[in-house]
Amino acid sequence: MAGMKQKYRTDLSLSLAVSQKDRNCSTQSYLCRGDSHVFPSSPVLKARINEMDWQGQKHAEMLMQIFLVFSAVAAFGAGYLMRDFRLMMLIYAGGVVLTVLVTVPNWPYFNRHPLKWLDPSEAEKHPKPQVSNITSSSSSKKKASKNK
Amino acid sequence: MHSAVQRANTAATIAAILLATICAAASFLDAFNSPSLQAHVQVVKINRFRRQLDGNDEVKMTLKMSMDLTSLFTWNTKQVFVFLAAEYETDTNSLNQVSLWDHIVQEKERASFQVKVPTKYPLIDQGTNLRGKKVGLVLHWHIMPISGRMIQGKMPLSNFSLPDSYTTRS
Repeated sequence: MAGMKQKYRTDLSLSLAVSQKDRNCSTQSYLCRGDSHVFPSSPVLKARINEMDWQGQKHAEMLMQIFLVFSAVAAFGAGYLMRDFRLMMLIYAGGVVLTVLVTVPNWPYFNRHPLKWLDPSEAEKHPKPQVSNITSSSSSKKKASKNK
Repeated sequence: MHSAVQRANTAATIAAILLATICAAASFLDAFNSPSLQAHVQVVKINRFRRQLDGNDEVKMTLKMSMDLTSLFTWNTKQVFVFLAAEYETDTNSLNQVSLWDHIVQEKERASFQVKVPTKYPLIDQGTNLRGKKVGLVLHWHIMPISGRMIQGKMPLSNFSLPDSYTTRS
């Protein structure tokens, strides 16, 4: 079972390893900083992961909710006290704009715990298994379960 | 929350829901406003009381009105529409309501006024029942809030009686 797990991890890491030819240095992204080997290269994954790590995403979501609720409460309180509906709308709009500026873009503050992808040198030690290997290993898995 | 676009979508949705919440809260607080307005109307003169060519009675008069509508306004009020209705009873209808004059008040500062004005709309009956009729004047108002449901109210004012015969030749 441990062997199966290792092979699956290798599959994932190999699909993420960078080929040396795939470099696009016209942008200021990680691809030009020289450490592109620790980031995914598959275009699908690149489109989905925009340099905000998991801790940062959770933090950003929490900040967004707190900012928005606070600006709604503050807007309503100010409008009620000053007896001005327009003031309430202005404060709320300002609060929403502030929230979007703080939460939506990929600030580096949200990337303090970046993901460590597997090094390609490490990945090469575990070659991708062939199709026949997969069927034999699955049949061996069946045999193992039968034996239990 | 994986991409900036998803976060922007989430922010827009939560912002819209909270906007609806604060507008509903503002509208809800309007229910606690108990208005106490004063109004007084007096018929100065009956300008014309005749029977029209198609057989209906028609009355035009001059009214002198003073009213104070400031207590109807809250921070959530867009405008107040106020109109004066003449109410009377006939053989065919138990209640007839005819609007004689109306006005839109958009600011609280202009909600208290006095006017002496001829009626905007003549009092036209369905028939010829107005001679000697006792007519009651009722002030109606519709408060239109910025967010929320329209609030209606009315207040009966003085009565008056129409003359027993037409004042001008029909």
